[in-house]
Amino acid sequence: MIEFDVRTLDTGVGVVTPRGRLNMVAARQFKTILGDLVTEGTHRIVVDLAETDFIDSSGLGALIGGVKQTRQQGGDLRIARPTESVMGVLELTNLARVLRPRDAVDTAFDD
Amino acid sequence: MTEVLLPDLPARLQAEVPTTLEGVDAVHDLLAAFWEQQPDVPDLCRMRVETATVEIVANVVEHAFAADETSGADGERRRLTIAVGRDDTVVTVACRDNGQPAAIDLSDVAMPGDDAESGRGLAMALQVLDDLRYEHDNGRNLWSMTCAL
Repeated sequence: MIEFDVRTLDTGVGVVTPRGRLNMVAARQFKTILGDLVTEGTHRIVVDLAETDFIDSSGLGALIGGVKQTRQQGGDLRIARPTESVMGVLELTNLARVLRPRDAVDTAFDD
Repeated sequence: MTEVLLPDLPARLQAEVPTTLEGVDAVHDLLAAFWEQQPDVPDLCRMRVETATVEIVANVVEHAFAADETSGADGERRRLTIAVGRDDTVVTVACRDNGQPAAIDLSDVAMPGDDAESGRGLAMALQVLDDLRYEHDNGRNLWSMTCAL
């Protein structure tokens, strides 16, 4: 029900694109992907949510875990282009102001 | 015989779903099928119902059935039944399982801090729904969720 696309920009920023539903079934794999990127030395990660139809509390937990892991290494995890459904959940949980969704993947680390 | 949940609602859809992680995906599919039959249900209401149902089912799969791999708390085979229905004013979801009773006080559920990696599920369900009830009766758990149209 979900696929993850993982790529690295020329700037060294890792981009993870979850395609489908980021629910409890998918969250474990998502956590592993983020953890592996950090372990391999990618400490700046953008999660592109443009193709994420749904997110639940475990998906949010994986994002928060990724923020903590990257920040411990001096980096950060940022989210970009959330769908309307995902944005609704971010607002509901007050995480929109913590995760501060960016408008574009390429410029997510410009500020 | 499978018990009929929400029998009084004029439009309803019911399914028995796996009592494992796969049950969560089955719930998404059940709701998607229901929305197809009920095109006038607004997107916001769909999002609220889907968010709450997925959180409750994830909770059931993780907690009600965590202790016993093969059977429910009543010794029968593990069973998780979901029904979604509506009338002119509300969308209602009922989730019935024969797992362990939930040790939960819904009046005591709060959204955890921003850096918490878990513990948001029930708080999210409570926040999106107009009504969430849990009862344990006759060895079975029943979660009832209501979202006004």
